[in-house]
Amino acid sequence: MISIDASLMTAVAKVDLKNLPPEQTALEIRDLNLHYGDKQALFDVSMKIPKKKVTAFIGPSGCGKSTLLRCINRMNDLVDNCRIDGEILLNGHNIYDKKVDVAKLRRNVGMVFQRPNPFPKSIYENVVYGLRLQGINNRRELDEACERSLRGAAIWDEVKDRLHDNAFGLSGGQQQRLVIARAIAIEPEVLLLDEPTSALDPISTLTIEELITELKTRFTVVIVTHNMQQAARVSDQTAFMYMGELVEYGDTNTIFTTPRQSKTEDYITGRYG
Amino acid sequence: MGKWFKSGAPWIWMTGGAVSISLIAVLGLLLLIAWRGLSYFWPATIYQWQMQDENGKPYTLIGEIHDREQVPTERLVAAGHHFAANPGEFVNRFLVKTGNREFVSLDFRWILQTDIVSRSAPVGVAMIERSQNGNFYGYPVAIVEAGQRLPAQGDIADTLQQYIQRAVGLNKQAEQLQKQDIGSVNYDLERLRLKGRKYELDNALTAERQAELAQQRQQLQQKYQVLEKQLFSLREQAGRDAVIVKDMRGQEVTLPLDTVLDVSYVNGMGFWQKLTTWCVRIGHFVSDDPREANTEGGVFPAIFGTVFMVLLMAIIVTPFGVIAAIYLHEYARKGILTKIIRIAVINLAGVPSIVYGVFGLGFFVYMVGGSIDKLFYPEALPSPTFGSPGVIWSALTLAILTLPVVIVSTEEGLSRIPSAIRQGSLALGATKAETLWRIVIPMASPAIMTGLILAVARAAGEVAPLMLVGVVKLAPNLPVDMNFPFVHLERKFMHLGFHIYDVGFQSPNVEAARPLVYATSFLLVTVIVALNLTAISVRNHLREKYRSLEN
Repeated sequence: MISIDASLMTAVAKVDLKNLPPEQTALEIRDLNLHYGDKQALFDVSMKIPKKKVTAFIGPSGCGKSTLLRCINRMNDLVDNCRIDGEILLNGHNIYDKKVDVAKLRRNVGMVFQRPNPFPKSIYENVVYGLRLQGINNRRELDEACERSLRGAAIWDEVKDRLHDNAFGLSGGQQQRLVIARAIAIEPEVLLLDEPTSALDPISTLTIEELITELKTRFTVVIVTHNMQQAARVSDQTAFMYMGELVEYGDTNTIFTTPRQSKTEDYITGRYG
Repeated sequence: MGKWFKSGAPWIWMTGGAVSISLIAVLGLLLLIAWRGLSYFWPATIYQWQMQDENGKPYTLIGEIHDREQVPTERLVAAGHHFAANPGEFVNRFLVKTGNREFVSLDFRWILQTDIVSRSAPVGVAMIERSQNGNFYGYPVAIVEAGQRLPAQGDIADTLQQYIQRAVGLNKQAEQLQKQDIGSVNYDLERLRLKGRKYELDNALTAERQAELAQQRQQLQQKYQVLEKQLFSLREQAGRDAVIVKDMRGQEVTLPLDTVLDVSYVNGMGFWQKLTTWCVRIGHFVSDDPREANTEGGVFPAIFGTVFMVLLMAIIVTPFGVIAAIYLHEYARKGILTKIIRIAVINLAGVPSIVYGVFGLGFFVYMVGGSIDKLFYPEALPSPTFGSPGVIWSALTLAILTLPVVIVSTEEGLSRIPSAIRQGSLALGATKAETLWRIVIPMASPAIMTGLILAVARAAGEVAPLMLVGVVKLAPNLPVDMNFPFVHLERKFMHLGFHIYDVGFQSPNVEAARPLVYATSFLLVTVIVALNLTAISVRNHLREKYRSLEN
């Protein structure tokens, strides 16, 4: 078993994930099956994700953790011949209901991608992009939201003097934080992070990790990572996935110290992955 | 040797060689037409030759040397020449522009070196540029003011210059009056006639309206008569004076000053003076109207027509091409049908342009234009308004011709935009259309500009289809003028490409036209390059703005 410094682990009261009361549940996934054409990528995934906590999805490459994440804001709709069965409840409403407006859903479920993907606009315009989409053009309102979001993403001090410069002038780590600022500017309930540090250097990674811990005071955070130390450092709950199945899901401490499934143990101890 | 091949050096030499050959070809072409075209405007020395014909009869010749060549003596002998002394194997001969078209049978003639007794370049000989009958070479002797020959006093050159300037100024006024004021009265009269005809067609021509129209007509006619009187008086004043010139036959000829445009004593000019004259002549060439069946004067209407038509085409083709490309790339389902459509679009670029011309004539001019005439301009029928070739139909025809280029390059631009950026926008709650408008199209704009650059380059050089759908040898009115509605899209226009063809192949005076062909070609290339450079600078600006990360 890999030894993990106990101080790195977030000390929180254990949450009973099985019997999570509705008011504490941000997301509930029920019997989710996903096919890409003939190939099944997710098998009967069911889980409850608590509010204002960090939940990490870990597992070897191709296990379906990113696919599961992209189901939560329906990014998989963009993939041709992708079929989804089952339900995902956000505040008790199925997001796969026919009546759901996908654009509106994505305002509630923000997402940050693996590689920083700022738009070819100024830093300011990047941050207020989502607000402008909602028809907000009041200068003062936008200015306030811009500062609030950039502060929230811990990048304000670095960019406050060059808000109107092109966002491509920032470093990779700064770009990723800018993208996070852009995502939180529209005040989503849930923030999905898809391997947000895999393209970054260790120092930027650390900054982002600190940021994630801060973010969970305001948002429900779901993070996909292939870095187990990162999962151990930042998450409250961890879900281990393997070959499209949810193998084990529980409190991060428990998963990393006393996993119940042998597959989890093998993965954590580095026997594969 | 084998090692040398393996090192890749021959490959580098081969590719480098190919590039050099292309560059040399392009530069050679440009240099040739630039040299031939621009040297035409350089003031050439005017020579006076003392000549002796075969029978020993002396005569004088004044003119500019336009060309020289060596002819085998045998050929000249075979043609009936006989030489007093043996001139050797070859004889030099010169092509001389003698001008004075109304007094000599040919204003260009070949003279043999062996016939020349002596050659000089007298300072007093002048080249007189005229609005009719081409140049006149001779010695200005005296000025005639209102029929009175002025006594010669001092240098005639300065006095002559003043008199010419006065006449030119008056002519210019007269021309302006005719083109603008009288032109607009004529235009209004025609509109009144059409208005009356329209009432007639609608069975609404009441006596009241008839009277009103007649009154307006009379007002215009009165205005016309006043203007006409002014015009005639201006012309009369311009024709008051004349200049007496001694030509190469030794006779004194009177040239009325209202046909004289300029006089220059080329042989007395220094280098800087010649350079100034050269610049002035080029200025006249690009800003004046053509004269004398396009063999003299400038090409301004052709420049204007070319640029106007190309811009109109760009305005039409860009939205169509971009919208089509967006549909094909973003919305159309990826299937066999889309593939077939895409191949068909690309193949459209391979259709010969004259076919587009035929299509434009049949579809745009006769069908669309004819229908527009029937629906909106019935009062002008049977003379067509939009139902005959015009600048709008030319622009539309060329827009179809260049559509594939714009579609293909726009599609390429759309496919180069990273999907991460599209997903980033979608993840923020943007719909697909919002993502397109706010992110994708701005980012694809450099590619759209590239398509436009290629389209402009192709369209500006195209002549064949235009001959069917709107270009003419001489269009007296520009498509844009001061008469309401200011832009006349139905008018025919002049085009530099067609001008080259017309001057080069349809001209009555081949020798006079040849240098103009080079000058006009050079101008056409310059115009295309200027249009392209503008578009390229816009594209580079956009590229800089939307440059995305390389990783």
